[in-house]
Amino acid sequence: MAKNIKKYFQENGIWFLFILPALLVYLIFMAAPLLDSMRLSFYTGKGYTPTEFVGLQNYIDLFTNPIWRERFFGALKNTFIFFAIHMIVQNSLGLFFANLLANDFRGRGFFRTVIFAPATLSVLVAGFLWTLILNPHWGAINQTLKAIGLATWAKPWLGEENLALPVIALTSVWQWVGMPTVLFLAGLLGIPEELLEAARVDGASSGYVFWRIKLPLIKPVIGVVAILTFVDNFNAFDVVYAMAGAKGEPGYSTDLLATFFYRTGIAGEHPIGIPNMGMGAAIATITFVILMVGVLFWLYSSRKNEDLV
Amino acid sequence: MSVNIKINNAVKKFGENTVISDISVDIKDKELFTLLGPSGCGKTTLLRMIAGFNTIEGGEFYFNEKKINDMEVSHRNIGMVFQNYAIFPHYSVRQNVEFGLRNRKLDKAVVTEEADKFLKLMQIYEYRDRKPEQLSGGQQQRVALARALVIKPDVLLMDEPLSNLDAKLRLEMRQVIRDVQKEVGITTVYVTHDQEEAMAISDRIAVMDFGVIQHIGTPQEIYHRPSNTFVATFIGRTNFVDAHYLANKKLVEVGEYNFKVDNISLEKNNDVILSVRPEDFLFHEEAKTSLKGVIKDSFFLGLNTHQLVELQHNKQLVEVIRESSLENELPIGEKISLSIKGHKVNLFSKDSKENLVKRS
Ligand SMILES: Nc1ncnc2c1ncn2[C@@H]1O[C@H](COP(=O)(O)OP(=O)(O)OP(=O)(O)O)[C@@H](O)[C@H]1O
Ligand SMILES: [Mg+2]
Repeated sequence: MAKNIKKYFQENGIWFLFILPALLVYLIFMAAPLLDSMRLSFYTGKGYTPTEFVGLQNYIDLFTNPIWRERFFGALKNTFIFFAIHMIVQNSLGLFFANLLANDFRGRGFFRTVIFAPATLSVLVAGFLWTLILNPHWGAINQTLKAIGLATWAKPWLGEENLALPVIALTSVWQWVGMPTVLFLAGLLGIPEELLEAARVDGASSGYVFWRIKLPLIKPVIGVVAILTFVDNFNAFDVVYAMAGAKGEPGYSTDLLATFFYRTGIAGEHPIGIPNMGMGAAIATITFVILMVGVLFWLYSSRKNEDLV
Repeated sequence: MSVNIKINNAVKKFGENTVISDISVDIKDKELFTLLGPSGCGKTTLLRMIAGFNTIEGGEFYFNEKKINDMEVSHRNIGMVFQNYAIFPHYSVRQNVEFGLRNRKLDKAVVTEEADKFLKLMQIYEYRDRKPEQLSGGQQQRVALARALVIKPDVLLMDEPLSNLDAKLRLEMRQVIRDVQKEVGITTVYVTHDQEEAMAISDRIAVMDFGVIQHIGTPQEIYHRPSNTFVATFIGRTNFVDAHYLANKKLVEVGEYNFKVDNISLEKNNDVILSVRPEDFLFHEEAKTSLKGVIKDSFFLGLNTHQLVELQHNKQLVEVIRESSLENELPIGEKISLSIKGHKVNLFSKDSKENLVKRS
């Protein structure tokens, strides 16, 4: 009976009715705006409705015109650094915390909460909080350094071009480290206890167990965390906006693709203040392509792994 | 290497809950020693105390003269086989078997040679480059056994290693385990709740219930002279019949019927529990003194026929086993006369706790 229904649905295309609602929502709210912004990237004109078709000129300007090129490649480089810091620092810390939390000890729930708590704050609130803590004159960090006799270490953390980006990235790491922690923790807790016991019986040290047993067994989780980190941080905007403003102060040293896009396409560059929607759309499209390539690469390699294992 | 395990007054508590209150055993060198008991009686708990995965709340554990209570798991030099195999899914069969050797910083050539030896011993050499998921359950358990043995452990621990296998494979693998254990000559503690498996495989068995060892002995001792009624019912099948013992005549009276037993430790007449295995009843056409009953039900199982007999004098049902015959079996409702093989029965005190038969 059930089989007949299945067959009936398959042969008459009725299955299509069931995915139609979701498909419509997806098309209207995801695909259409995406395609429209791609279309927009071929136009130019001031204000919110660029009308003049210029073909690839926006892209050519971005890559070659000195006015645009410097900003664009600067933002691209910063975005990559911002992502790399998260990838390395945030995810290593997450793995470290998860490995600790996977053990049974008193206060485990408490530490799990503490590590995850910042993620529940608004990014703007967290960013603002850290600008206070990092304030060069009366911020807690410099005050503490001075108090313990390390006054020379006190720095204008957000005011130096080579410091600001890593410092902002680290505050973001602080806020979001709970995410990889819970994902890794779920992965580690999913490893059958007997496997770890078998390894211990066989004389493996805890380090050996970590590198040779635990890590390979949570490889799928590592992949998911990596791709989430990639997508989240190539899109990052709010933490820089909150701590360094839309221009990525000081001197564009914290400018990311998203802040660059925001200035160009939405807010409008100082002093004119008129947005260039076409160019903004071009930046957004490039960001999209980078993300797309990354995700496709990940899908492809994880598919290949699945076949192997 | 010869290793005997000595456990003195072991205590295990989980919080307030005492799971093992006081266990002492001596496990001899090269012996296959089985912990047998119903689910939840504490077999795994005791095994994991020996392995070092459970804390020890009291008592002492020794491998030979060395006390191991506080020794690190990885330093105890034990091999362990788990119920669900616990082989590393990301390693090949060979890498699994080599795992313990690699932790011992041995020469590469030695590692390969030793691994090969045990791969061949367990007859999985041809699968050495496969991943575990490409093996059947029985093959996986062979890998687990090879991995446990390759490190030349002092002690081999196994927790229900066969319970994930189907019935046929279980018989095959228990033979494999027994053969390999004898060939390698390793002191082994084996946990199971399957009494038949325990009898088939063990040199000695400890029957446990509620965290207490009820009886330690060879399979024969435990079957023929169980120390109390729990052991008598847990190992094999038995019938308990209320009876009376006449000390001066050395007679056991069951209703009108009586028979002689001369190895009972009772000095005075007393009510007792008579324990008769189903195969220890004899059928009689005619007899002067016999146990009268009526056949209530009958099950033909091939070799044997099991019959439920209601005893005439107290209406109690007992199970009787006879070898099946080609002629028609006695029909339901038939009145029959039984006698009992007096030298094989056991008498238990009324409180079920003591076997009154003197051990020879
Ligand atoms: N980690 C634990 N915490 C609390 N109680 C436990 C723990 N492990 C076991 N127990 C309890 O200890 C008792 C004995 O458990 P154990 O696992 O040793 O039984 P077992 O004889 O191996 O049974 P089975 O045949 O079902 O495996 C059970 O009542 C169980 O609930
Ligand atoms: Mg158990």
